[in-house]
Amino acid sequence: MTVRIYVTPSSLPEAIGLLERHGPGLLVMAGGTVAMPLINDGISLPDAVMGLRRAGLDRLEQADGALRIGATATLTQLLNQRAIPMLSEAARSTASWAIRNMGTVGGNLFTPPPGGDVAVALLALDASVTLAGPRGERTMPLADFFTGFLTSQLASDELLVELRVPMPSGSTAYIKFGRKHANTPAVVTVAVHLTWDGDTIARARVALGAVGPHPIRARQAERVLVGTSLDADAIAAAAAAATRECEPFTDAIATDWYRRRMTGLFVGRTLEQLAPGAARRGS
Amino acid sequence: MASTIVTFELGGREVEVMVKPLMTLQTVLRHQLGATATKEGCRQGGCGSCTVLVDGEPMLSCLLPVEDVAGRRVTTLESLTPAEGLHPIQQAFLDHRAFQCGYCTPGMVMLSKALLDHSPAPSREEIARALTGNICRCTGYQPIVRAVAAAAEMTAGSEGGPVR
Repeated sequence: MTVRIYVTPSSLPEAIGLLERHGPGLLVMAGGTVAMPLINDGISLPDAVMGLRRAGLDRLEQADGALRIGATATLTQLLNQRAIPMLSEAARSTASWAIRNMGTVGGNLFTPPPGGDVAVALLALDASVTLAGPRGERTMPLADFFTGFLTSQLASDELLVELRVPMPSGSTAYIKFGRKHANTPAVVTVAVHLTWDGDTIARARVALGAVGPHPIRARQAERVLVGTSLDADAIAAAAAAATRECEPFTDAIATDWYRRRMTGLFVGRTLEQLAPGAARRGS
Repeated sequence: MASTIVTFELGGREVEVMVKPLMTLQTVLRHQLGATATKEGCRQGGCGSCTVLVDGEPMLSCLLPVEDVAGRRVTTLESLTPAEGLHPIQQAFLDHRAFQCGYCTPGMVMLSKALLDHSPAPSREEIARALTGNICRCTGYQPIVRAVAAAAEMTAGSEGGPVR
């Protein structure tokens, strides 16, 4: 492997300038936990690489009713924040301590499934992403950002700079189901965010990981839930909807058949955590 | 392919190395600085045998371009080991037979060092959770967990400050 150029910009404008100068062949890397294994193995043979560790994009702060997460904030930073417990839980369930000290929240959006467990929680929380390029910045819902397997709305001259998560109201629950208790790829990951109008669900977000080309919303399950009181029938109907609409794949971890069945099971279990009678957890 | 000079702190000493683009800290430690305690395992970030501390926090040197640690403080097993005798964690690993082939041990010890700096009296679950990214194929992990718990007890009474 012969990488000819490794650049480490110390600001966002410098990073955008370097991306413009080197063109789309420049591999953009933050924590290196996805890119470096491929480079070490000779599977990825980039000519030029840009490392964002020093680009000053790692701030994580609560402002204007939202949690603002710099694209290169580490998973450890996300784990340690207290503003949104579901994001802390999602970070804790991802990889190992050393990897969390390196891997970034922004990088998690570019991690191929079954990875990308943090993005599942972000999706359920209606996060938005801010992209920056030579023509300025634009912001869009994370739900619109993903377009396919390892593809997104990000143009080749743009960088992901920030994620913004509105402070959740209502209740949230998150389950990552893997083959081991920790440091394991997901069979399926489920993140739910429900907003209540009295005893009925006013708004539902059900996000799924490892059962699609990217983290996906289970929109049929969401529609089933709205207007219900999250009784047993509603939970069963939502689980059945998610079972139908997920797009699982087969890999070394699980078959598509198994993933589809576990999607229904764990959508059900995640919702049960929030059902009346269960100790409803604040987000 | 232009080489770059990178300066960082290794075990309290400033070192200066000339590196090719994207050369990893692991390669530099082992092949340029002769610091071979840091092991080369999977080079995928999957085994933990190359764990070092950067500014006191565990990271995987196989995934870390050395240019990214410029100006930062790197601690390896070499810098943990005192001139005479053993560090309490090393002694505990020895006492509890927490290694057989020993290949994973440097990473295990460095991770344990970071754990005890953060949490001087960890529970068994905390120890197991912290070590989840470090693979051992010999011991079955139980002796390792016992060793870390014993090291915590050993250092609890003493001054037990961070060893740089």
